[in-house]
Amino acid sequence: MQSSVMITSELLQQVGLPAVLEATHCRTPQGSRLKNAARVYGVHNRRELEQELEAVGNLTTLIRQKHPQLVETTTQLARLRELRGTFSRLEHGTVLDDTEFFELKGALAIFSRLTKVSAIIEAAGVSFKDTSKAAMMLDPAGKKNPAFHIYSDYSPTLDDIRARKRVLEKQISKSKGAERKTLLTRRAMVIAEEDQEEDRIRRELGSKLAESLPQMQHNAEACGLLDFRLAKAELAVRWNGCRPALVSETQPAILTNITHPLIASHLEKQGQEFTPISIEIRRGSTVLSGANMGGKSVALKTVFLGLLMAQLGYFPVAESLQTPIYDFFAFETSQDGDLHRGLSSFGLEAVKIRDHYRRSKTRNGLIIMDEPCRGTNPGEATAIVNALSKSYSISDSSFLIATHYPISPSEGIRFYQIRGIRPETLAQQLPPLPEEPTVAEADKSKPSGGLSALAQPDLKQDLIRVRRIQKMMDYRLEEIDGPHAVPSGAIKIAELLGVDDELVREMKTAWQEEQWQN
Amino acid sequence: MTDALTREASIDLLDLAGLEELEALALIGLSKNAGKTTILNHIITAWQESGQTRPLALTSIGRDGEAEDIVSGRAKPRIYIPTGTLIASAEGALQRSDALLEILELTNVRTAFGEVILCRALSDGYVELAGPSVSEEIEVITRLIRKHEPEILFIIDGALSRRSQASSGMVQQIILAVCVGTSLLPDILAEKTAHAVDLLQTPLVDEPKLQALSAAIAENPQARGILLSEGSEHTHCKAVQLPSLVGFGQEISKEIERGTFLLFLGGAVTDHVVTELLKEPEFANLTLVVEDGTRLFLKPETMRRLKHRHIQLGTLNALEVRMICLNPTHPNGQILESKPLLDALRQKITSIPVVDLGPANR
Repeated sequence: MQSSVMITSELLQQVGLPAVLEATHCRTPQGSRLKNAARVYGVHNRRELEQELEAVGNLTTLIRQKHPQLVETTTQLARLRELRGTFSRLEHGTVLDDTEFFELKGALAIFSRLTKVSAIIEAAGVSFKDTSKAAMMLDPAGKKNPAFHIYSDYSPTLDDIRARKRVLEKQISKSKGAERKTLLTRRAMVIAEEDQEEDRIRRELGSKLAESLPQMQHNAEACGLLDFRLAKAELAVRWNGCRPALVSETQPAILTNITHPLIASHLEKQGQEFTPISIEIRRGSTVLSGANMGGKSVALKTVFLGLLMAQLGYFPVAESLQTPIYDFFAFETSQDGDLHRGLSSFGLEAVKIRDHYRRSKTRNGLIIMDEPCRGTNPGEATAIVNALSKSYSISDSSFLIATHYPISPSEGIRFYQIRGIRPETLAQQLPPLPEEPTVAEADKSKPSGGLSALAQPDLKQDLIRVRRIQKMMDYRLEEIDGPHAVPSGAIKIAELLGVDDELVREMKTAWQEEQWQN
Repeated sequence: MTDALTREASIDLLDLAGLEELEALALIGLSKNAGKTTILNHIITAWQESGQTRPLALTSIGRDGEAEDIVSGRAKPRIYIPTGTLIASAEGALQRSDALLEILELTNVRTAFGEVILCRALSDGYVELAGPSVSEEIEVITRLIRKHEPEILFIIDGALSRRSQASSGMVQQIILAVCVGTSLLPDILAEKTAHAVDLLQTPLVDEPKLQALSAAIAENPQARGILLSEGSEHTHCKAVQLPSLVGFGQEISKEIERGTFLLFLGGAVTDHVVTELLKEPEFANLTLVVEDGTRLFLKPETMRRLKHRHIQLGTLNALEVRMICLNPTHPNGQILESKPLLDALRQKITSIPVVDLGPANR
């Protein structure tokens, strides 16, 4: 049984799985089909997942060694065409046309060539069955020529018909006028005979080939598997992925210095670097807190993608990664409601909370929630996230939640926080920003009135400010022994984003009063 | 039509059109049923009789979806080929062929009649041609054919236009088929043909403009219209995305400004399109560029109006008409005497051989 993934397609896109699949370059239609099926191995397929990871690992070694058989393998795979239609016609006894025979002949030649790249197929853990009998049927004279037609070698009758036709065609080429017309008519009669004999041969050839159908189908699937595993291995080499270690269901997932490959490449284009994160996720609850703009959402996506990739038989981009096999994956974040079902954003969240919790009672899942209850009142929201953390703390599932609300420590709840703004960077004198137009000036330069005036923030300056904050941040995670004073750093961020001094002063005073009262 | 004339033309066909030196040739009809298949069959016979060592490779190109096209687009001629000829034709058309064909390659080029398949004839016989419908795909076919047989004369039934090779500078050689369906009157037929030849042979746009335009097309491969304008420092490029040219003339003309020196239009440029453009006073003193001469469907009157506005015509790919073949059979079946027609055509068009090849011996 496969494991299931509970996530909206929009969120899956944000997590980056479609981009991972896209970056996996399969060469055959069979391989692409396997890739798009995105099979998440379940607990009952542990051995198969082990085999998959083993094969991908073996192939990465050969790719790194630049094994000489790789060129032949990829060349042959790139030539393989979709064969399902032809196989199905063969199975149902439909007469194949010459194009389909040609296609099969080509495929059989590819199978035969691939059986010779022994190092690769052994590493990939695939096997090919002997289809030489079928190949001989499509090459009766043994010419090893990839072309195909209904050969005269198939029947003496056909040979005889064609000999007669050749004589006529020779005469036709030298004749003119009425004589030519007569000869062409005679030729048409011979062609009718030829067509009839060719059809008989096609039928016979089809039924003989059908005997080898199981072997041919096996080999086509083997090509798909080889292709998909090779594509995964190429991706692992390109992204420097690591082979995940599968541990028992009671053991924690331990991710060491994991990177989100797509966010990392996006940052790289901006001249920035992704800070790898490390985290241990045990059964029960894990709470992640940290500064605004500290990368909590990115951390959750990185963890989710890494663990999901491992269970899809891919190599996550980490220094090392161990994981149990989860029965299901769920990822939730506050989103707009579902108007069709009459649910507000909180309504939708409540439904998800209900479904995942019920599922977790009988199955062992990885449930990740990014700041749930963002849109409800803080008192009740705190109560809800506390209840969730506490309930999951005794569950067999692993619950990872990012939240700003304070969670009371309890057995089975572990706390992580993003390190946040490095204190030493706060003391640094920041260079002044380029001159900013006053609001009045800015208004003058914009079209008057309407929404346009609101919709044009000063993007350039804000971008500089955001970059500064990013430079000040330490995105690493650290385990803490309990919830610290809510370290959101929100006011600091507001200040760094250029909120006016007097407003920031008011914020700070209000915050101090709030703390005083508590 | 006289026998002597037919024989003379048939013997001299290769010489007159200079086919022996060519690598590729396109057959274009001035109207439907202009006789392209007959010309093809004549070339095949002449090629065979003169003992050429290079095989012929044949395909056709359709141009579906364009109302004002001089090519019928859907014509699937039946042709008698000798052993050794290569053909690229769709599966459906091959099933209606009776030559013994060896399949060499499946091209992955799809048409309404199925995938285009590359074959070699192992016997003489009739074949039906239905090649790719998109001109870009001709390049795929050409490459595959030359992989199997580098030395060939590749004949394409229908014009080819190669936007993606805009800067190749290659001149496409063509034979033009003309039939009395265009006009029964010798002088009018000659005038219309001469005008069509002028349009077909519209010269390549000059080198600096070609370079700037090729770069702009590479950046906006989907654009229907591209405008190049002189800026204060460098050339500005504006790309216009439209579903077609017909009916969208105003969308293009409103983009023309004072400094616009070149307007490229992708697709069929008709009198209607030009009339729409002429409504814009700034549409003047510029070069109007099309993919190749087969894209121009302009009456002499329209040409005069363009000239009056100092608008030059240019192409991305030049065509050279090697020969004009007259078919004196009207689509209604009436056969005219070809001599007066040939005389009128030869008087009007002096630089290109004009012949009546007569019916092919098929």
